[in-house]
Amino acid sequence: MIRFSKTLAALLLCGVASLTQAAETAICYNCPPEWADWGTQLKAIADSTGVQVPLDNKNSGQSLAQLVAEKAAPVADVVYYGVTFGLQAQKAGVVGTYKPKGWEQIPEGLKDPEGHWFAIHSGTLGIMVNVDALGGLPVPQSWADLLKPEYKGMVGYLDPSSAFVGYVSAVAINQAMGGTLDNFAPAIDYFQKLAKNAPIVPKQTAYARVLSGELPILVDYDFNAYRARYKDKANVAFVIPKEGSISVPYVMSLVANAPHQANAEKVLDFVLSEQGQALWAKAYLRPVRAMKMPADVAAQFLPDSDYARAGVVDYQHMADVQEAFSARYLSEVK
Amino acid sequence: MKRSSLFIAQLLFTLLVCAFMLVPVLMSLVAGLTRNYFQGVSSGLTFDWIAQVWQAYSPTVWLSLQLAVACAVCVCVIGVPAAYALVRMNNRFSRAFEELMVLPVAMPGLASALALLLTYGQFGSFRSSWLFILVGHVLFTLPFLVRPVMAVMQRQHLPTLEEAAASLGAGPLRRFFSVVVPNCRAGILAGVLMVVTLSLGEFNLTWMLHTPMTKTLPVGLADSYASARLEVASAYTLIFLLMIVPLLVALQAISARLSRGEQR
Amino acid sequence: MSSTVLKAHNVAAGGLLKRRLRPTAAWALAPAAAVLAAFWLLPLAHLIVLGGQQRDGAGSGYWQVLSSPQYLGSLAQTCVLAAVVTLAALLVGGITGVFLARQRFFGRTTLVALLTFPLAFPGVVVGFLVILLAGRQGLFAMLGLKLAGERWVFAYSLAGLFLGYLYFSIPRVILTIMAACESLDRSLEEAAHSLGAGHWRVVCDVIIPGLAPALVSCGAICFATSMGAFGTAFTLGTQLNVTPVAIYNVFTNYANFTVAAALSVVLGALTWAVLLLARRMVKQSRTVL
Repeated sequence: MIRFSKTLAALLLCGVASLTQAAETAICYNCPPEWADWGTQLKAIADSTGVQVPLDNKNSGQSLAQLVAEKAAPVADVVYYGVTFGLQAQKAGVVGTYKPKGWEQIPEGLKDPEGHWFAIHSGTLGIMVNVDALGGLPVPQSWADLLKPEYKGMVGYLDPSSAFVGYVSAVAINQAMGGTLDNFAPAIDYFQKLAKNAPIVPKQTAYARVLSGELPILVDYDFNAYRARYKDKANVAFVIPKEGSISVPYVMSLVANAPHQANAEKVLDFVLSEQGQALWAKAYLRPVRAMKMPADVAAQFLPDSDYARAGVVDYQHMADVQEAFSARYLSEVK
Repeated sequence: MKRSSLFIAQLLFTLLVCAFMLVPVLMSLVAGLTRNYFQGVSSGLTFDWIAQVWQAYSPTVWLSLQLAVACAVCVCVIGVPAAYALVRMNNRFSRAFEELMVLPVAMPGLASALALLLTYGQFGSFRSSWLFILVGHVLFTLPFLVRPVMAVMQRQHLPTLEEAAASLGAGPLRRFFSVVVPNCRAGILAGVLMVVTLSLGEFNLTWMLHTPMTKTLPVGLADSYASARLEVASAYTLIFLLMIVPLLVALQAISARLSRGEQR
Repeated sequence: MSSTVLKAHNVAAGGLLKRRLRPTAAWALAPAAAVLAAFWLLPLAHLIVLGGQQRDGAGSGYWQVLSSPQYLGSLAQTCVLAAVVTLAALLVGGITGVFLARQRFFGRTTLVALLTFPLAFPGVVVGFLVILLAGRQGLFAMLGLKLAGERWVFAYSLAGLFLGYLYFSIPRVILTIMAACESLDRSLEEAAHSLGAGHWRVVCDVIIPGLAPALVSCGAICFATSMGAFGTAFTLGTQLNVTPVAIYNVFTNYANFTVAAALSVVLGALTWAVLLLARRMVKQSRTVL
């Protein structure tokens, strides 16, 4: 009985001890190790500012939901998510304002004037292909190619109703097929046709599955494809479809009533600093501050003529119609 | 002759079920040791992935073990007296209470976690500590201890034993610790085995209750399957297996020895 | 004479004791009741209230759930899947469990251990194991290529989800059945055999009724777990829209907590109703589920 209560006391002490380990940390929601090479970025942040940020693998939607659920006592200090979620977070009142150093260099339209969110880098959507897993078939070059029966069971795209990448895919395809943000019929029509080709629709990044060959063709960002090709040395090709695509920014925000406000500000300053932005460039993302990309990295991108096919959209409008589109997708695309 | 052909058929069926359970696990283990899963075993075997996983995720292993042990202790402290009470009372109220106890299993973990967050989320330091996850685990695993213990208590004809002890002058607490508990050791241990197993693998509740500072092994496993290479995730699964298999085998051996002892 | 007096005294004392024992026993329930009340009932009440709230004038959460064919279809699909998995698990686990409990052969203990450690696997891992078995590069795909020239891929359909749920249900059934077999009365079976009953007759009329309480209780837990399982469906993705995944979808689609809460409460109520029904089926009230 006494031994038992001693063990219980020891366990409780351990619990209390772990509470005091909060020295110089900042919690980030959605800072996954491999995506956008956050692993290197967080290490650089720790080396340069002394703030330790643990990795976290939520996606944009989960991060926002968690922030709203924890509104009474926030756990996170900073959050990284797609631009539409940033806009929604501002509306939900879970983010505070902060203008990091280098604020003036962010172009208009890629930041909230009051500082609720700001873009740190952007990526372009396209088709990521594991060439070896195609089994000799040609690499698809357009959205229409994905509908071809020879790619049956090989095509994947993230769920537009839960992942930001998925929603961006829907918007990009919609735009390419002639639709607008007010008329998603071309996108719904496309997904219904694609459904006949037995696509795989994961709810979270399926990077690993592309590399393992389980999912040979995935609608994903250019930086993931370049990482697969040049860092993980897989035979992966990236294609910006002939009909066109879009680029979207990823943004960061300071969480309202953040537990470690000072550390959070240091983190946000760093990701926007020259050193931080250079790290994004090395990870094959386009930094939001205009800077010269290192020549070797620039050479690994697709030519600019391909990137001319990628446009932009009105992000506020995109955010406003997201919920309605998700509901429509869930009910009409089976 | 007919009996032995039935025996063979049942054995083959059992082996088939075994193959269904184990072949994918073996494939996963091999993937964790292969240099490149897409190329297969021909690309060579390596321990690099395991080293990489251990470096990145070892805190999750310790936290999961800590949680499992704490959960087992808490569930025993709460559950064994509860089982005793439910067996002794055996009326409508006790049956309703049993239903109530099973509800956390019936509701998806996401919902229970959301409910917990909304109700207790404002207590900052409680919410950010591993104790918050412990609460979720205890709620989820409680029926898995109480039920086997109740079953054993009924089999052991406790009322007779207890009345004998009471007639000899033992008070209720003394009766509980010297008559009830020792006679149910096998059931309690079987329940503890189940609780530890479930706690080590609990994902649904923990996923919403955890913070990046209190990440458990299943959550880390899900993370690595999502964002890292298949080899890394498989190596992580290998480490998970190395952790649980000895634990489960040991618990099962003790439980078997105890139940054999009870039948004598 | 003194012994009868002693017996009478004991009987009287026994009656008094019984009355005194019960209130003491109820106190033992206090810790569990406190924990459940504080950490389960209170949050559940919170959730039930949340489901009734309105968001952006779209009607209360419950109204949105109960009036949408999509959500109702998802609830039905989840229910049917859970029921089928439960029956299959009981069948497979029952046969295997009885066999393992009764026979003694070399390697039996190892086999039992190997069959039950998958209990610890989180749903996400089970999902990936299903992909390893039945995905595009899985075992069955390779088999299909060799035998029929085309890959047999069923990981991303309901069949794959069924396999996954079966995977984590079978160990549970085996453990419970093995424990229940210990307390089966062999003499009944021997009596039936000696009266001329064939093997299958004995199984249907003696063994299954003897195991019935364990089967029903285990089936109830399997059903509840399958209804609430999330990790496996989350990993396998695609067109699967079982209710836990629907809850996740709604939850991450701009934090729509009202519909998420309503869906969860309805799912929980449905599961609880089925469990209640199963409980009624067990006639012996003394046997504990």
